[in-house]
Amino acid sequence: MQDSYAIELLNITKNFPGVLANDDVTLQVKKGQIHALVGENGAGKTTLMNILYGLIHPDSGQIRVDGRDVSIRSPRDAIGSGLGMVHQHFMLVPSYTTTQNIFLGNEINRLMIVDQKQAEREVQEISEKYNLLVNPKAVVRDLPVGVQQRVEILKVLQRGANTIVLDEPTAVLTPQECDELFVIVRSLVADGKTVIIITHKLSEVKAISDCVTVLRRGKVIGTVLTKDVSKEELASMMVGSNLPSTGERKKLDPGEFILKTKDLVVRDKFNTDVVRGVSLSVHQGEIVTIAGVEGNGQMEFVEAVTGLRKVFAGRAFVCDQDITNLSPDKVRQCGLAHVPGDRIATGTNVKASIADNLIAGRHRQLPFSTRGWINSKEKQKFSQDLVDRYKIKTPSLDVRAKTLSGGNLQKVVAAREMSFDTPLLVVVQPTRGLDIASTGFIHEILLEMRNCNKAILLVSTELDEVFELSDRILVMYEGEIVGEFTPENVTREELGLYMAGVKRQSRAESES
Amino acid sequence: MLEFLLKITTYRAALRIMTPILLAALGGAFSHYAGILNIALEGQMLLSAFIAVAASYYFGSALWGVVAGVACGIVVGLLFGLFVITFKADEFIVGTAINILAVGGTTFLMRAWFNVKASFSDPGIVPLPEISLPFISNSSFLGQLINGQSSLVYLSWLLVIALYVLFYHTPFGFHLRATGEHPEAFESAGGNVALIRYIASISCGAMCGLAGTHLALGYLTQFVLNMTAGRGFISLSATIFGNGNPLIVALASFLFALAESFSIRFQSIGIPPYFVLMIPYIFTIIVLVIISARRHTNELME
Amino acid sequence: MSVKKRLQDVFEQTGSLRRAIVSILLAMVIGALIVYLQGDNPLVAYTALFRSAFGSRASVFQTLANSTPLIVTGIAAAITFRTGVVNLGVEGQLYMGGLAAALVGVYLEGVPSFLHVFLALLAGCVVSFIWAAPFQWLRVQFGANELVTTTLSNYVAILLTTYLVAYPFMKPGAPLAMTKNVLPSAYLPRLVSQGRLNLGFIIGAVLCVFVWYVINRSSLGFEFRMIGANKRFSHYVGIRVKRMQVLAMGLSGAAAGLAGAIEVLGTQHRFIQNISPGYGWVGVLVALMASNNPIAVLPVGILFGALKTGGLGMEAATNVPSELSDVLQAIIILFFAANVVFPSLRKESVLKKKHAEIAHPEEV
Repeated sequence: MQDSYAIELLNITKNFPGVLANDDVTLQVKKGQIHALVGENGAGKTTLMNILYGLIHPDSGQIRVDGRDVSIRSPRDAIGSGLGMVHQHFMLVPSYTTTQNIFLGNEINRLMIVDQKQAEREVQEISEKYNLLVNPKAVVRDLPVGVQQRVEILKVLQRGANTIVLDEPTAVLTPQECDELFVIVRSLVADGKTVIIITHKLSEVKAISDCVTVLRRGKVIGTVLTKDVSKEELASMMVGSNLPSTGERKKLDPGEFILKTKDLVVRDKFNTDVVRGVSLSVHQGEIVTIAGVEGNGQMEFVEAVTGLRKVFAGRAFVCDQDITNLSPDKVRQCGLAHVPGDRIATGTNVKASIADNLIAGRHRQLPFSTRGWINSKEKQKFSQDLVDRYKIKTPSLDVRAKTLSGGNLQKVVAAREMSFDTPLLVVVQPTRGLDIASTGFIHEILLEMRNCNKAILLVSTELDEVFELSDRILVMYEGEIVGEFTPENVTREELGLYMAGVKRQSRAESES
Repeated sequence: MLEFLLKITTYRAALRIMTPILLAALGGAFSHYAGILNIALEGQMLLSAFIAVAASYYFGSALWGVVAGVACGIVVGLLFGLFVITFKADEFIVGTAINILAVGGTTFLMRAWFNVKASFSDPGIVPLPEISLPFISNSSFLGQLINGQSSLVYLSWLLVIALYVLFYHTPFGFHLRATGEHPEAFESAGGNVALIRYIASISCGAMCGLAGTHLALGYLTQFVLNMTAGRGFISLSATIFGNGNPLIVALASFLFALAESFSIRFQSIGIPPYFVLMIPYIFTIIVLVIISARRHTNELME
Repeated sequence: MSVKKRLQDVFEQTGSLRRAIVSILLAMVIGALIVYLQGDNPLVAYTALFRSAFGSRASVFQTLANSTPLIVTGIAAAITFRTGVVNLGVEGQLYMGGLAAALVGVYLEGVPSFLHVFLALLAGCVVSFIWAAPFQWLRVQFGANELVTTTLSNYVAILLTTYLVAYPFMKPGAPLAMTKNVLPSAYLPRLVSQGRLNLGFIIGAVLCVFVWYVINRSSLGFEFRMIGANKRFSHYVGIRVKRMQVLAMGLSGAAAGLAGAIEVLGTQHRFIQNISPGYGWVGVLVALMASNNPIAVLPVGILFGALKTGGLGMEAATNVPSELSDVLQAIIILFFAANVVFPSLRKESVLKKKHAEIAHPEEV
């Protein structure tokens, strides 16, 4: 391989109001290599790639493609320069077919009439050429996530991309699908392409990349050959300080069951079962984790149990009371609190003040409300107390929640929900997108609550978190519980197999 | 008492009444597919109606009326696009403002240019010509139904077919629908979302221009204060009913027009006019509720 | 803090006021252009407009009188918009409330004035509440877009009330459809000897303050604000979203009905067809320009009332039709909504915003 660079981002600086996202960043990617770009959330990786793809314009700096200076002011320029990007959240029109998505903006047509047949033929050809098998006529909305990703990659290849950027490609894949992706990436490189992978998963960096650049707080910390560096070294480059230790787990005998579901069935809007007869229980003093790749019914299960979604069949009980199909306020009254997976759209009201977010849910109760009027002194007192206890960084209680960082926003949700002091806490993806310090903080709180005899149902896709926090691990695959383990008696690889549906336990095994 | 249900004239009238509703609803389809909520169909129609009448009067020609009406629609569509797309104002506020501007503006101009307050009618206004289809005889069933209608009536039917092809079989159609359904995907593929939305706004304006022109020059040959009388919102309902699909939008427009045609016939059998005039609006509300109910998934419990 | 940062803070706090002033100025420039193209002198026209609106004590009272319906309909619209519900049926709700109040005013006899006025106003509120609320119910039950249904409901309400006042409740021998005169015991007392300014204005002003308190300091208002800002969040924390939205629509209707009742009892002293020249629609604009803040509805309502008074006076003094004020109103709102003070004219990528939200919650 020649030593020339496929892509160079030179001295890129980008300021957003209040944040210096990229600070004189230089990234040079050699042709034919797999180059990883790592950093925590907020380090500036996605900003940099957005600049490369023309979605954002840098304040200063230069981009070179194949040694030539280029000006990239829009995705169209980027595509014209041979760049292709596969975004973390797929850029596919749900109601269009595979073919229509691949050719979007670039439709084959004769005299202004689109030639579907020809387009489908070409998709078939290119899909066979790169061994990325897809059905040209399938509607994208019906495709599983792994296949959608293949469509995204084909889209990029169809435009003749020489350099392909993959943004957090494995976030939605099972361990096996990850391996398949890596095979695809290697074959693309063998075909002469250059690949840039944005990720925060260090084991992937070690598995697939030739070379890695670490970003932290908008600055390049270093660029190294992957073979010359260890995961621990990469982690400390990413974080820059000692990793905080996590809390201690007391040995507890689980008490009574607080949450129990029996053969719960939930349907989606197309009337297909997404939760297929799930029976589980969570006892006092234990953390039960539902592990599984996103999209296997965990969200729907949690929503059904917290009153946010209809239950089609089966029952759910909290503290011995039947909560099936009750509205959220009633379910909460039975003793449930819920930290949802989406802190921005569901967990908080970013347009409201921090204090409002903290008292929401109790705004009709004493002492916050007397005869219908809100008591602002009590509100301030309560909110300030929570802000102090959870170390939420904010200039004041009255600023909009919008101004908080991801970690602090999550603390607001956690603070509010945990302050209800309910016997049961349902927590979904609590540390997604958080930096390492905040993650440690949340883990500590969860363990503390467990030690105080609360029942916690956790849903997580981060295996590190799953192994660290759980008393019991349940794997959900396609709406069913296919395995139950304790962290001691299962390995990651085996868990991965269950998560991918390759293995499953029989009823007898899981009840042992 | 209900003999009118069997008379061809009832349905013939429905076809005539349907045209402005259909044209505006087709314009609404452009906005709908581009992901913009345009509630100013009413105002655009009204403004175009007035300009069409004025132009027909001043230039003594219905063709000029059409040109002016469409041009007015395009200008308003451009304005709408400017405020919503480039200035990023809320589309609902801009739509409401345009509707109010239309009522006030047309009244203002009517008084300023023609010195009348409530309506402007004059023999100098040239109406749109009626067309006799050469291959259908006037006395046949089909002939009685569709022959001899005003020109834009036929144009609207052609447009239904043309837009069907445009939306589903041309590159522009794919770009348009992607812009509404997943603009990020279109942009990421190198498309220009703002440009598509501008084209959609202008097209919508042009269609509303045709609608207003027909209303003023193909229907009545005059301009009356607030003559659109809520038709723009009935068109909006038709667009929502059809989800932008020109064929279904046409069907919905026909149903609404039928309701109005019935209501006119009801008047002649002695029911007080006010009740009768309510019928199209009540009918539209009921239809909207029914079609929404079928799509609505009541997932949230309370 | 640097000077620039301090200036930025000040800018942000007076943002809305600045936007309003700039919008008004820009609209007036365009208005001047229109007048000029008409062949009239803009300066003369505007002078007549100002003088007619504010020139004398009588003018000011007239302006306040004309603002009254706009303030109350503005509150009506603001209540729903704050809750994320779109009520475009304010005009029709005004008609329903006005007729109800008129009927109580005409046919309820032998009741002391205070009680009579109160009952008539109450009737207006209750009838419009009942008329409006079901449209939001149709939305929560069936998903029928309330924007469209309430807009259509205007035509139904206006036709219905016109029918009632043209046939069953028609005043015999009258040239237009109207009810008999309301009994004097139901009159809203005048505040001035000359002119139409009446207690209705005070009611409107008090309503603004009261609604502000409810929205910002009560549990009910808390829920309305939460629902308006984020429905999912509200549902998730246990707020009964559907119920509250229907209530908001009903209360909005009640306020609109109150506007109609005040118009009947304070100004017209009967219900007549076409009683409202679009107060409901202007109320929507008032609410939007006040950013749905009840306290701001008062000055904005007065502004729009001034435009109306001024317009009428301008027409009397010059050749310029009074509808210019309607046109000005719409243009002001357009510029206000466009945030023309600092327009972001750079082509901003749709994707960029989405990416910014997802990848950098710190920067959102």
